[in-house]
Amino acid sequence: MLEGRELMVFYENMLALNNVSIQCGDGKIIGVFGSNSAGKSTLMYTLSGIILDIRKKEEMRGGERISLFGNVLFNGEDISEVKPHVRAKMGIVLCPERRRIFPESSVLENLKIGAYLSTRQEAKDNIEYVLDLFPRLKDHLKRQGGFLSGGEQQMLAIGRALMAKPKMLLLDEPLLGLSPAYQDIVINGTKAIRDSKGISIIVTEQYARPIIPIIDYGYILENGSNVLSGTKEELLDNPDVKSAYFGV
Amino acid sequence: MEILIYGITNSIILSLMSLGFALVYSISRVPNFAHGALYITSGYIVWLLINKAGLPYLPSVLLGLAAASLIGALMYRFIIMRIRGMEISEIIGTYAIGLAMIEGLRWGGLRGMTYTLPAFVSGSTEIGGVSIDYQRIIIIITGILIFILLFLFTRYNRIGLALRGIAQDERAAMMLGIDSDMTAIISLAIGSGLAGLAAVLLLPLGNIVVEQGYNVLIFAVAVCVIGGLGSWGGTIVASFIIGFAQILTEKYISSHFVMVVALLAIVVTLLIKPSGIFGKQKQLEERV
Repeated sequence: MLEGRELMVFYENMLALNNVSIQCGDGKIIGVFGSNSAGKSTLMYTLSGIILDIRKKEEMRGGERISLFGNVLFNGEDISEVKPHVRAKMGIVLCPERRRIFPESSVLENLKIGAYLSTRQEAKDNIEYVLDLFPRLKDHLKRQGGFLSGGEQQMLAIGRALMAKPKMLLLDEPLLGLSPAYQDIVINGTKAIRDSKGISIIVTEQYARPIIPIIDYGYILENGSNVLSGTKEELLDNPDVKSAYFGV
Repeated sequence: MEILIYGITNSIILSLMSLGFALVYSISRVPNFAHGALYITSGYIVWLLINKAGLPYLPSVLLGLAAASLIGALMYRFIIMRIRGMEISEIIGTYAIGLAMIEGLRWGGLRGMTYTLPAFVSGSTEIGGVSIDYQRIIIIITGILIFILLFLFTRYNRIGLALRGIAQDERAAMMLGIDSDMTAIISLAIGSGLAGLAAVLLLPLGNIVVEQGYNVLIFAVAVCVIGGLGSWGGTIVASFIIGFAQILTEKYISSHFVMVVALLAIVVTLLIKPSGIFGKQKQLEERV
């Protein structure tokens, strides 16, 4: 469904992604694991097209020069130069790192802004779906997004991304800074999204352990390179991976 | 009573002048220094339609507003879009456009006291012993209606909500399928339309003179700096502060100092609280 082919991203002369190829089939959950600065977020920006906007803004400011190589394919179509909002329309929706909730809007408004691409009826149905998925949000519908706790914000961010009717959902470090209880809610929610709506999901995380039970296939990034990939069992059996990413 | 009524009128006048500027800045982060020029240009277009084309009042006004919106949208599409993100260039670019428009009008013959727009309804009445003309009452009512309309638009309309999303976090909105160039065009069209509306409402109070273009820009910038750039609530509060301050100055000191009030207020704000009364909510950002 979504495929990145030999992706390379340079920030000036720094190599952020080195020849990474990644594939996500229909209705699959793919995990991407790696430490800080391994290139996870850059990969997500490249797949969602946000990198094009970053590149343009940097160019305007006279800042870093960003160079992109390789292709992003969606259902076989090359979308490497397609702008991020058009990709969202095609169905590739990114739920960004650090959540980026609209802080001055209420929870309900955040969801409504997310429903930009939907009709009124779809928006209504989707809000219902999101609130069923994360019932905790129901208690805070009128509260400003910025005043929610980290876990609630993460639920809201995922909910907001769902409002945009994704076919391919990209979750960038959804567990960052969350308590174990909230981690469970988010992980179960992620699985439920795939199971009930058939949405394909790519999820990145520093620690593989909480995510690994729900993924179909995983990639491990190190310094921008894909050092290892495999099914959940293959990853679990690899002794290097075990010590580095599972803390066993 | 006199101070209250004149103060409210003056405040609403100020907020009408600055609302367009504030709206464009908060949504697209483009400081539209052509705002005053759009104000005076749309006033002149309406004057032309009424006096040269012989159209009745209402159609001329509507056409004038449409023309203002169109100018704003074209300005973004063909000029600002290329320099967006380079702040200094945005200021220089929009100011240059404004300068060209204002001085173009002056060169084209918009001089002297001969150009006036008709009032919506003429005549006057008394409220609490203070005489006030109907035009000012209409200004107050329209001003309040515009606030309400904008409030509803940005809370219950799909496009309005998208504008607010972009205003708060451009990239996060982009990820949800909102096109930031499209919202910027819409914001400039609405902002310019508001400048035109202000012109139609306010110009009948005096003559159409090109210098008004600069004054409107100064007031708009003053109000936005004091209220906090990018904050709509702040814009309205700041217009009331400056509005009343001006009326008090006029009454107790001298009417020569009215312009100074706005500029002094900018200086004081920048010294005490540079982000303005309702500047970006820092305490929120830290939590995220």
